[in-house]
Amino acid sequence: MTEETITIDSISNGILNNLLTTLIQDIVARETTQQQLLKTRYPDLRSYYFYPNGSLDINGLQKQQESSQYIHCENCGRDVSANRLAAHLQRCLSRGARR
Amino acid sequence: MTMDTAQLKSQIQQYLVESGNYELISNELKARLLQEGWVDKVKDLTKSEMNINESTNFTQILSTVEPKALEMVSDSTRETVLKQIREFLEGIVDTQ
Repeated sequence: MTEETITIDSISNGILNNLLTTLIQDIVARETTQQQLLKTRYPDLRSYYFYPNGSLDINGLQKQQESSQYIHCENCGRDVSANRLAAHLQRCLSRGARR
Repeated sequence: MTMDTAQLKSQIQQYLVESGNYELISNELKARLLQEGWVDKVKDLTKSEMNINESTNFTQILSTVEPKALEMVSDSTRETVLKQIREFLEGIVDTQ
């Protein structure tokens, strides 16, 4: 038979451990339930990517400079840089309206 | 005195609960852990474990999160709360 010596320290550690594990169980239960609920409500839900250095977007793809993307303007038929599109449309459409 | 270890522990625990000290210590611990960001860290850890394991099974996630979360408790919080528990326990020993 093994004899365990009980000291105030060992009991204190036991109580602290009990308190901590209760807190952990509570947090894990809440988070897993919340995740299960989200999965049930939105089966196609994908978590967003997060890269601290900011080189990738929320889908985990390389970020593209807006200036490197060109959008075809249906009004005048020209390819316009994405970061200039709003300004272009304003001029392009108002010019057309005046005609 | 031939008191069983488990019996003694449960008696002490019961005394702490009945005297209201257990709740006091628990509240103090919760407040400290929240303040030092431990609660948020454990939430993040749980989320990342669920993503890694692609599972929301409570028992499975708890088994991986629990040991890491216990290690994440700061020494200062651990010491302060332990000191508080010890003081209460010493009070019980003195009066009995």
